[in-house]
Amino acid sequence: MPKCTINGVHVEVKDGATIMEAFYKLDQGIAHYCYHPGLSVAGVCRLCIVDIEGNPRPQIACNTVVTEGMKVTNQSEKIKDGVKWVLDFHLINHPLDCPVCDQAGECGLQEQYMEYGKYNSEMAEPKVKKHKVVDLGPTVVLDSERCVLCSRCVRFTDEVSKTNELGLFNRGDKTEIGTFEGQELNNKYSLNTVDICPVGALTSKDFRFRQRVWYLKNSETVCTGCSTGCNVKVYYNKEGTFRVKPVFNEKVNGHWMCDDGRDIYKFVNVEHRQTVAHKITAGQKSEMVPGLAATEAYQVIKNTDDNNLAVVLTGQYTNEEYETALKNFKTKNIFHWKNKDENWKDFDGLLIRGDKNPNSKGLETALSKAGLKSDWKDLESGITSGKFTTVIVAGPENIKAYPCFDDRVKMIAKAENVIWMTACSSESFKAFHNNALIIPMKSYLEKAGTFTNYAGLDQSFKKATTIVSHALTLAEASFLMTGQTLPMPATAAVSKFIDDSRRTDQVMIENRKKNEFVFKRGNL
Amino acid sequence: MSVVSNKPDKSHWYFISILGGLFITAKHLIKNLLNKDKMMTLNYPEQKFEYSPRFKGNHVLTVKKDGAIRCTACMLCATNCPAECIKIIAAEHNDPTVEKFPIAYEIDILRCVFCGFCEEACPVDAIRMGPEWQTPGLSGSAFTYDINHLAYRPQLKGGVVSVVDEVERHKSGI
Repeated sequence: MPKCTINGVHVEVKDGATIMEAFYKLDQGIAHYCYHPGLSVAGVCRLCIVDIEGNPRPQIACNTVVTEGMKVTNQSEKIKDGVKWVLDFHLINHPLDCPVCDQAGECGLQEQYMEYGKYNSEMAEPKVKKHKVVDLGPTVVLDSERCVLCSRCVRFTDEVSKTNELGLFNRGDKTEIGTFEGQELNNKYSLNTVDICPVGALTSKDFRFRQRVWYLKNSETVCTGCSTGCNVKVYYNKEGTFRVKPVFNEKVNGHWMCDDGRDIYKFVNVEHRQTVAHKITAGQKSEMVPGLAATEAYQVIKNTDDNNLAVVLTGQYTNEEYETALKNFKTKNIFHWKNKDENWKDFDGLLIRGDKNPNSKGLETALSKAGLKSDWKDLESGITSGKFTTVIVAGPENIKAYPCFDDRVKMIAKAENVIWMTACSSESFKAFHNNALIIPMKSYLEKAGTFTNYAGLDQSFKKATTIVSHALTLAEASFLMTGQTLPMPATAAVSKFIDDSRRTDQVMIENRKKNEFVFKRGNL
Repeated sequence: MSVVSNKPDKSHWYFISILGGLFITAKHLIKNLLNKDKMMTLNYPEQKFEYSPRFKGNHVLTVKKDGAIRCTACMLCATNCPAECIKIIAAEHNDPTVEKFPIAYEIDILRCVFCGFCEEACPVDAIRMGPEWQTPGLSGSAFTYDINHLAYRPQLKGGVVSVVDEVERHKSGI
């Protein structure tokens, strides 16, 4: 465990750790492009130069191992000047098309120029022209002129996705990133290259030109794409949600996430959502408010015997919702609907799992805690034999992940009364011809809760935004459906409102009174 | 609260001020009748006042030499706009040298405060404030100017050509 001093701050790092890791550990700023904590060291951008005491020339922090008693600084004039001119070299052939570049606003070149650069270019030669708008594959577009050749994307396909599609071609200022002849960048993790690209060279086809990044807010949440439960950031504004990016979590996903998980913003946008409740009686459809529909459902449930009532749950709701729902529904016929039984346990070795629900484990735990065990076949036979007259379904949000969705809707539609709770609308709901109620639910972005991932790790997330304001959560719906009123959130006996909102440096009213005489006329 | 006291003995003197006012009116009347060219007022709908070309009136979207819209949909004008009256929808252009262009560019002119910040923010001289200022309309929708109105309205006679040219810029090696 060698100890070193970074800009005068003592730090102890692991054996074999580099100076860059020590900088990361202390959260101190250092300019760099090619270093990424999730990838191997390349040392090609030469931007992370630091001064080591006793060493006459600057060294790169990313590829120099910390030794005992090393004194490192990147605040000296020599280093500041050095970084500035290395940055100038990076920008020699940069096309400066920030207005049309999607990365503008979160670009490494813009940020580091403002922090370390601020020079006037001394380059008089014409810029080298390279390929623009190169179609690399189904998800990514390349602009070679913007590329700073940090080789992060090449190392990513080499080390993480292990697909080896990308390479560096040609030499000197003609060097370009590209794919090999006849090959395209097409793997399940390809969009990570866009995230790690420090400039706008790689852009996502899905997000390209849809929003400027400074119009977007973000909120950390848990990916609902599969049971891995990657930590993600969802970017949204009042026009909808636009993209998903991974957040580092060592225990779950590291730095990465899969391309399928990046689609989880799509079904929460209002155009895919069930915005009003539908009541279908003998083929006649009428619209109503979700809360009213839930109380109508109570009238149906009240008249059904507990033995004739079946509840179907999917692994796309939170632990808190399951707990409340299982407490409220007194029936023992509770079924767990899985997206696909065959590849339920699939795993691709990196992140993607066959269980396409974020919280199957949480549902299983909740069911076993309540002592419930049921087989899907019982539901099928129960509906065909007419045993289950009323079926309550808490359907999936991410309908795309359920290839059996259409068949299952048709099967359940045979029941006399169906109460279907769903966040997303679907064409399959046309199958309802008996009595049915479709109640809109809140999506994972609109509620707080906890998901338990495949390994049993509980991950809490908070509410990000509101998209369908009057939609219900499963907990709220279960209260209304069992004839109860919604519980008001309990307030603390002593109001902490004022204390919480007070700034630490705020002047208290007593102190203000004491100071009052100072400002009186005559005393000054 | 102040109380205005009415003093009857002083109030007779208003008559002199009225005469003074009438005198000024008569002076202007005679002056204007004798010298019609130097009259200060205009017969508005028939006669119109020409402001200087630097007047900040209704917006104009400039065009390239080939007549296509110069705007690159970078949204800097919309970002800089204090009234939030600019709405742009960007799209991918078939020509890779253009890359990004606006398929919709709308200005809600009733919200606009004519500050000219959009003009200042524009990196490619795509939006200018023109000299027009008389723009009546019959309904609210007439005041939401779309991309065709902003770039190709009849008064512009086929569009105003931008001073920033991408082709020339590339030729000079920038």
